[in-house]
Amino acid sequence: MIPAIRGSRWSLALLAVFAVAGLARAATVEEIALMNRADRQKILVEGARKEGKVTWYTTLIVDQVVRPVKDAFEKEYPFIQVEFFRGNTERIVQRMIAEYQAKRYEADLIDGTVSPTMVRRAGLLQRFNSPMFADYPAELKDAQGFWGATNLYFFATGYNTRMVKANEVPKTYEDLLNPRWKGQMMWSTSRGSGAPMFVGTILGTMGNEAGKAYLQKLKLQNVAKTSASNRQVLDLTIAGEYPLALQIFNHHAYISKAVGAPVEWIAHEPATATINNIGLGKFASHPHAAMLLVDFILSEKGQRVYQQSNYLPAHPKVPAKQVDLKPGGGRFKRAFYINPDQQYDKGNDWAEYFENLFMK
Amino acid sequence: MASRFDVATVVMICVSVVTGYLVLPPLYSVIQTSLFTTKLTGEIDQFTLRYYEDLFRELQIIGPFLNTFYFSIGSAVFATLLGGSIAWIVVRTDSPLRGLGYFTAFASFGTPFILYTIGWLLLLGKAGPVNYWLKILFDQTTPVLNVYSMFGMVLIESLLWSPFVFLMLAAAFRSMDPSLEEASAACGARMWQTMRRISLRLMLPAFFSVMLLIFIRTFESFEIPALVGLPGDIRVLTTSIYLDAQKLPPRYGSAGAFSVLLMVVVAATLYFYFRLTREGDRYQTVTGKGYRPTLINLGRWRYLAGAALLVYSFVLLVLPFLIILWASVLPYYMQPSLEGLGKLTIKNYVTALHFPKITDAIKNSVLLGLGSASFVMVLTLLASWLLVRTKIRGRWLLDLMTTLPLLFPGIVMGLAILRFYLFVPIPVYGTLWILLIAFVTRYIPYGIRYTHSGLLQLHKELEEASYVSGASWFSSMRRIILPLMTPSFLGGWIFIFLLSAKELSMSVLLVSPQTPVVSVAIFELWENAQVGELAAFGVIWTAILVTVAIIYYAFARRYGIQQN
Repeated sequence: MIPAIRGSRWSLALLAVFAVAGLARAATVEEIALMNRADRQKILVEGARKEGKVTWYTTLIVDQVVRPVKDAFEKEYPFIQVEFFRGNTERIVQRMIAEYQAKRYEADLIDGTVSPTMVRRAGLLQRFNSPMFADYPAELKDAQGFWGATNLYFFATGYNTRMVKANEVPKTYEDLLNPRWKGQMMWSTSRGSGAPMFVGTILGTMGNEAGKAYLQKLKLQNVAKTSASNRQVLDLTIAGEYPLALQIFNHHAYISKAVGAPVEWIAHEPATATINNIGLGKFASHPHAAMLLVDFILSEKGQRVYQQSNYLPAHPKVPAKQVDLKPGGGRFKRAFYINPDQQYDKGNDWAEYFENLFMK
Repeated sequence: MASRFDVATVVMICVSVVTGYLVLPPLYSVIQTSLFTTKLTGEIDQFTLRYYEDLFRELQIIGPFLNTFYFSIGSAVFATLLGGSIAWIVVRTDSPLRGLGYFTAFASFGTPFILYTIGWLLLLGKAGPVNYWLKILFDQTTPVLNVYSMFGMVLIESLLWSPFVFLMLAAAFRSMDPSLEEASAACGARMWQTMRRISLRLMLPAFFSVMLLIFIRTFESFEIPALVGLPGDIRVLTTSIYLDAQKLPPRYGSAGAFSVLLMVVVAATLYFYFRLTREGDRYQTVTGKGYRPTLINLGRWRYLAGAALLVYSFVLLVLPFLIILWASVLPYYMQPSLEGLGKLTIKNYVTALHFPKITDAIKNSVLLGLGSASFVMVLTLLASWLLVRTKIRGRWLLDLMTTLPLLFPGIVMGLAILRFYLFVPIPVYGTLWILLIAFVTRYIPYGIRYTHSGLLQLHKELEEASYVSGASWFSSMRRIILPLMTPSFLGGWIFIFLLSAKELSMSVLLVSPQTPVVSVAIFELWENAQVGELAAFGVIWTAILVTVAIIYYAFARRYGIQQN
């Protein structure tokens, strides 16, 4: 060993004490999250074995995807139990923040299009490092490592195929201004998945001036507004209430069409895209297990579970099960990615612009 | 009487402490929310009057204010007329089919709110069956009826509230003194004269309670305005509050300021109402002389009354329910047609029954309903007894305190309760108890309206006779008041039971993975699932609720009548 201390019993004893203390001092959440060494996997597995579980606050649908991910993950790591709590964005964030403030560190991971960002702004999110980040392009991961993308949402216009003839289908944003559609369109007022995101896309892609001019013209089309979710807006279109549903998820139209509904979707280039992402709680009680779950979700294997659940995987190498739901799959080429920070920072402005222009 | 006074003091202290414990913390939060900006962490940040300034600016714009006013007054009047007429037919006349009234009230109120509204939109929408037939009838090519209008808002909102009116006024009609009406008839008054000058006047407290509650709830509601009014560009005062709440970080200040303003208005109203009913003797219809009102013989008109009941059930229940049932057996929604008949499927029911933890959710929701209905009714019965029977000074404050929760914005109240029990070392967080506490607080105002107007009708001589005969306060309560109050007590109990099954704004925050409830499951389906799956789930849930309500009602009525 170290020659200098050989022979000194006291030194040896002291060394032993330090060694034990060093082992006993658990690594902090930060150290575990940012670990970047060869035996990372081994350390995570050992730690997770002791933790035994991980709690995931999620906005995703339990039966469709959360449970399949849980099953696949637990098959890989049988000694870890995945527990989850599902709710919409604001609710899970409010809950996690309130619990953390009361020092009840129940949530390890949180996902959503904007939920991790909210937790981060409250100072309660931990940066992390995952070997899987290497596979993702810059727009699908956070530069500082606060979040990684799990799956994507693409917005499109849904239309009732019995009310809209093939040659009438509005192909571009400009086509929506056709007088034929005046009073024939509906959209949701939802900040995160409705009209405000449409406004953001238009202002972001056309530029402020041209964008605003376009929206002024769209206002004259009298698009009907509702607080219903965009899924319900699409259902009203299927029921024949409004021929066109603006800013709906393309996979919703696909699912309905698959069971025979008279509905089809068309994306206008570039289509709005939002990113469902996952982040780690700053005081996670099960950081080792949490990191293993994040690695799994971001891995190709985990992404295939999303794919098989008909979600649109974020991983560039994993296509959608229905290939054409993602850009480059044949139906549309470009997407305008609204990342979580933009959604958080500019979302209010877009929502207010929408309210002032369309709702006064 | 000295011992009675002591009992009153003890009851006053107990009731005030319990009510204060439930109501004051959220009240504090609501006021605080309205006066401070909050950080993302939910901590209060800076003092501001901005929310009040915004509110007053909004109030100056005449459009939204008038819309809100028309909407609330229209719904309150229409719901009261509708529910009141049906209650009168069911309780006071010899019309056929009277049992239908109760069933319709339970079943239509048991239907999940969102589903009920969607049912009406699909029914009255541009492409719906009503417009389809109207178009043929009037030979038009465009839709005749526009549901996305003030008319649609008032119609759907009043239909939603009419079971509440029905249950409350049915209770009041049941406790009517026949001798006053008979005296009127003996003096040669016609039936409608007796109705107008005797019966309806005696019912004043009940009418007031009903109208007040509906007016307030409608005034501050945003659901129907956002789902029905918004597509037709009808803006109400709550529209901007609703939009504010979905900003990030969520802004609940405007909701807080709005509810504080309403509280002031309601406090003033209650104060005057309290003075009005202080001479409560005028409304005492249940005396020692026997009070079972006689059934009015309608003669030939009874068939018309029976037909009215049928139409009411058909409109309130059958129509929207058929649409929901129809949606639940289709792979995707389509208008009622022969084509649809060929596609019927039970797939949605299979999906609904596989919803995660569905049996737990049903069990929890039923338990919560039973618990909150029973607790609220007992608490408010005692509170009403204090308000009506004792002369303790300042008791109108108790009336106010029991009414305030009506005005708390659900989300602000939910957050207040969440935070309170995270920091206070009472281990209810994450259990069903926290939901029970929230529900009880939320529904005290309904309990108090039912029991207050019910108790006003009981003459105090009945209670005094009991004391004179040597009965204790407790046994007088149990053997005299409670049995005589059965109609109001039952009406309130069932209403709260059904209402708590729908509660959402607090539940979404307070449920834990171990304590799922049905309303949250329905909300998840509403946000993410297709209409058919939502409908299937709703049909199952409505069936369960109605079964529980009918069993309880049959059981409790028999028990109550035997006591008499």
